[in-house]
Amino acid sequence: MESISKSIPKRDHFPKISGSAKYVDDLSFEGMLHGKIVRSTVACADIKEILIPDLPEGYFVIDKNDIPGINSVHIVDDDTPVFSDGTVNYVGEPILMVAGKDLKVVNRLMKLIKVVYDEKEPVLDMMKSETIFYQYGYTKGDWETAFREADKIIEEDFQTGYQEHTYMEVQGMIGFYENGKSIVRGSMQCPYYVHTAVKRAMGLESDKVQVIQEEMGGAFGGKEDYPSILGCQVAVAAYKTGKPVKVVFDRSEDIICSPKRHPAKMHYRAAIKNGKITGIDADIVYNCGAYTTLSPVVLQRGLICATGVYNFKNLRVRGKGVKTNTVPNGAFRGFGGPQTFFAIEMFMDHLAKEIGMDSLSLKESMVVKQGDDSATSGKYHFHIPFPEMIEKLDQMSDFRKKREAFRNQTGRYRSGIGLSLVYHGCGFTGSGERDLIKGVVKIVKNTDDTVELLTAGTDMGQGLKTAFAKIASDTLEIPLERIIVRNPDTDRVPNSGPTAASRSLMVVGKLLQRAAEKLKQDWKPGEYQEFVEKYVHPDFMIPWDLSKFQGDPYPDYSWSANAVEVKVDTLTATTEIVGAWGVYDVGTPIDMAIIKGQMQGGFLQAIGYGSMELLDVNDKGVIRNNSFSDYIIPTSMDVPHLETEVVENTYENGPFGGKGAGELPAVGGAPAYVEAMENALGVNLHHTPFSQEDTMKVLEAFKK
Amino acid sequence: MNGQIHFTLNGEKVTSDRHANERLLDVLREDFKLTGVKCGCKEGECGACSVLLNGVLANSCMVAMGSIEGSEVVTIEGYSKTKRFQALSDAYAQTSAVQCGFCIPGMVLACEALLAKNPNPTDAEIRKGISGNLCRCTGYNAIVEAVKIAAREGKGLW
Amino acid sequence: MVTFSNGYLVDNLADALKIRSEIDVTPYAGGTDLMVDAKEDAVYLFLNKIPELRRIYSDEQYLHIGAACTYTEIFENSLSPQILKDAIDYLAAPAIRNMGTAGGNICNASPKADTALIFYVADAKLRICNTSGERILPIEDFYVGRGKTVLQKDELLVEILVPKQGLEHYYYKKVGARQALAISRVAFAGIFTTENGIITRCAMAFGSVADTVLRFRDLEALFVGKSIAEAKSLRSQFIANYEQAIVPIRGRVSAEYRKSVCMNLLEDFLTQNGI
Repeated sequence: MESISKSIPKRDHFPKISGSAKYVDDLSFEGMLHGKIVRSTVACADIKEILIPDLPEGYFVIDKNDIPGINSVHIVDDDTPVFSDGTVNYVGEPILMVAGKDLKVVNRLMKLIKVVYDEKEPVLDMMKSETIFYQYGYTKGDWETAFREADKIIEEDFQTGYQEHTYMEVQGMIGFYENGKSIVRGSMQCPYYVHTAVKRAMGLESDKVQVIQEEMGGAFGGKEDYPSILGCQVAVAAYKTGKPVKVVFDRSEDIICSPKRHPAKMHYRAAIKNGKITGIDADIVYNCGAYTTLSPVVLQRGLICATGVYNFKNLRVRGKGVKTNTVPNGAFRGFGGPQTFFAIEMFMDHLAKEIGMDSLSLKESMVVKQGDDSATSGKYHFHIPFPEMIEKLDQMSDFRKKREAFRNQTGRYRSGIGLSLVYHGCGFTGSGERDLIKGVVKIVKNTDDTVELLTAGTDMGQGLKTAFAKIASDTLEIPLERIIVRNPDTDRVPNSGPTAASRSLMVVGKLLQRAAEKLKQDWKPGEYQEFVEKYVHPDFMIPWDLSKFQGDPYPDYSWSANAVEVKVDTLTATTEIVGAWGVYDVGTPIDMAIIKGQMQGGFLQAIGYGSMELLDVNDKGVIRNNSFSDYIIPTSMDVPHLETEVVENTYENGPFGGKGAGELPAVGGAPAYVEAMENALGVNLHHTPFSQEDTMKVLEAFKK
Repeated sequence: MNGQIHFTLNGEKVTSDRHANERLLDVLREDFKLTGVKCGCKEGECGACSVLLNGVLANSCMVAMGSIEGSEVVTIEGYSKTKRFQALSDAYAQTSAVQCGFCIPGMVLACEALLAKNPNPTDAEIRKGISGNLCRCTGYNAIVEAVKIAAREGKGLW
Repeated sequence: MVTFSNGYLVDNLADALKIRSEIDVTPYAGGTDLMVDAKEDAVYLFLNKIPELRRIYSDEQYLHIGAACTYTEIFENSLSPQILKDAIDYLAAPAIRNMGTAGGNICNASPKADTALIFYVADAKLRICNTSGERILPIEDFYVGRGKTVLQKDELLVEILVPKQGLEHYYYKKVGARQALAISRVAFAGIFTTENGIITRCAMAFGSVADTVLRFRDLEALFVGKSIAEAKSLRSQFIANYEQAIVPIRGRVSAEYRKSVCMNLLEDFLTQNGI
């Protein structure tokens, strides 16, 4: 193990465990008002009238008329309003804010506000949507000939559902307006995203907006774009009222109105000739919800992953992101990948049966290797450790033996074991790092020879502060205690880009390493020194062309193999998750315990996505299961046997050989679980989450 | 005459003028500024608001003030002054069990409640003891390991 | 007795009943149901410090469980029957079990109530008091519809009386969405007793599938007084009777799912008992 991988106590350990760390709802300021947002109760309507009662002294209503700049939140495109412009497009859409000193009074006033809607017919079914927000497609080889000359064409439909982040700390933000400057503090992954959005909504220049990240109680992508919306809302509220305004969501509110993982419907075809898969054709639809937000990039990543880890020579992939009158969907760990990986992994399992091969054998025979062309005609430039990972996984889980043993079961309990092979592309998709983000970091050496790392990277629990400190400390060869890493404040840090896309270690960490190396070369004791390092695009990459959807969308990939074993009780259709095993390649682990924590946490989320995390929109566009008792996430008792291991596969261009780690473990758990269910039940399955009711339907069908 | 509510908070006798139907969670956070007690759901489903009430684990969001007259309440702020806390904290640090930290104060108190009754718990018993504390970050393994380490290395503390 | 704004705290039953008879209050034992949707103007009568409501004791016929006994107290008491302990063991999570009470579980009147199911199948009775006296009624007679009980505004549930005999040979299965913190989706409890080869009891109750817990004594009667062999010959009839009688409603899971699980568990219960 590399010395940097040796685990150390995390920087934020003691403040958090002692209860002294302050999250946004723990903060209070003089004269602060509490704000609550009145939200649409219908999915699609014009607002005819809003009846507002007389407001007591010190209580305010803030709406679109109070926005000094533009009523638009810049995310990728600009269609998301800060407050409703007079129409509403999903249940939960913000209409206005009520703010005042006493939250109880604010809540009472909210109940008295009456919104009169002129309701329109909502579009809730993504397959019936007539608005395509984004559309992409690509081909490789000669897919048409492959399908024309096929012996057999297999066609299947796959479906993945919503997933809600359920970060333990809900969304929250405090806005201030002081001396012509908007200040926003809160729970957010990307301070500079919020900064850009607030500038626009407030009509202010860069130096008149300050955004500060407070301690974050989890995010998983759910606080990547949404804080820009809430940030604008509190900024405007502070401007109107002249007081600090804090908005913290209720849990049910958070579940209703914050972004989710895009539900997807995916149609796959395979051309089979002489027992081999000669062509793949995938047609993907992602449900974006009512506004575009992060959908273009989610869709892009999903399409890049659509043919999985396999070396298909002939393929066509098409995809679109469509509008529905539901909550706008956004980033969630894996960012579009889990959906298409679910489809391709399940499809490969089914194709194996068609061909008469064992599923793992088929997959092994087709996995990509270093030097292969990727689906988008890029290249896999670096070693791909699938053979080692599969062997390790088999040792850990006994997959092959169990797979054989679990054929032809009878009796009350049915066992099953499933496996998935996946990747996660590291860094921002496409040419984003080079053209959009252009990340910058700064290292400052103080006169007392402590060193501060200045990046926009946010620690949401994943250990960013600790990892960055280790990179700097190991490079500079000075004690960790002399390295300072604070929660970012846009007044103090350069824009190193969003904390997303599994880019923090690999991209930002690398910039820090370079800056630290320069400082080391030029260290002047007792003197103040500054080093700035800018992103340099790796020159080995085949340039990404979005219009053709070709090239290298990522410099490298992190790889994973997952297995899940289940035991189904045929009387109750309930499933016990007997074991879960994951092997991961994240380059050199920057801290083994931190990496393990990411693997284990992400894997459990993915299993939730495959099994119990059902979220539904009813025929009025309402999310009914908007509470923790109703949206089911795993407890400590649900997967008692979960094991993760890493294989070391150093990535030279990453700091100390590290590459992206945060999202990878969330990608493969669902297909591994659902394949285990297939194995137990003896039928092909096509959707996730695969619930108790789904299981019962299969069992009942067998009885007939 | 509507009475004050008297209780012991982290070892000190205190009073509250709040109504008897108000949540202990809100009183702790707002009046006593004990913001280590977190609010995750307000329906008793996540355990982030856990406190020790007369020595047993309770979700403070589910406790009405009138019911704690004469009772003892311990929050993470009070518990963090104890040797038992130190043992748990050291163990959690070893396994890097603290990620976002939001579930952690409640989780630590759940661990205390578990170890106080069962100083040498099995994996299954640990998982049961923390089954009412939701964590979205860790997958629970590092926490379970930490409890085993604390039980082993906190000799005689429980 | 202490009077608070929006609450009364009493330390004896007589005072509690007096307040109940005079003031419009909501009885509060553990708070774990009441506080989920707490009303701003609720006035609580706190029962958790009344010794008469926190006792568990046994006489010749009954196990007496005070209505304000917490789930944990009941679980840890050696007098409690295993079937009840099993139900409590899977109920919610430790913190809820420490505060929540059997009385609250019963009076909240949800058909999903985990302990109410056990009390149904065990032929438990409820002792209900007011300032004028008391009445004792079978738990089935306590419920009149979804969320509705016969508890009057001046009454309090004081004790649950569980007949002690014959609770050892039981079957219990709860289906929830996960292994802990799981609201019941379907639950089944069965008690089977034979004496000298003759079936004296074949009690079965179904929870979470209808507006109240379901029990069909008239259908159970088909087996009572029969030998195992005779009962076995009547198995199809017995099952068909239940097939018709159980009409689940849709909740977070479908009625079809609930029906399938109920019938599967019922059949397994019979099979386990040699029928």
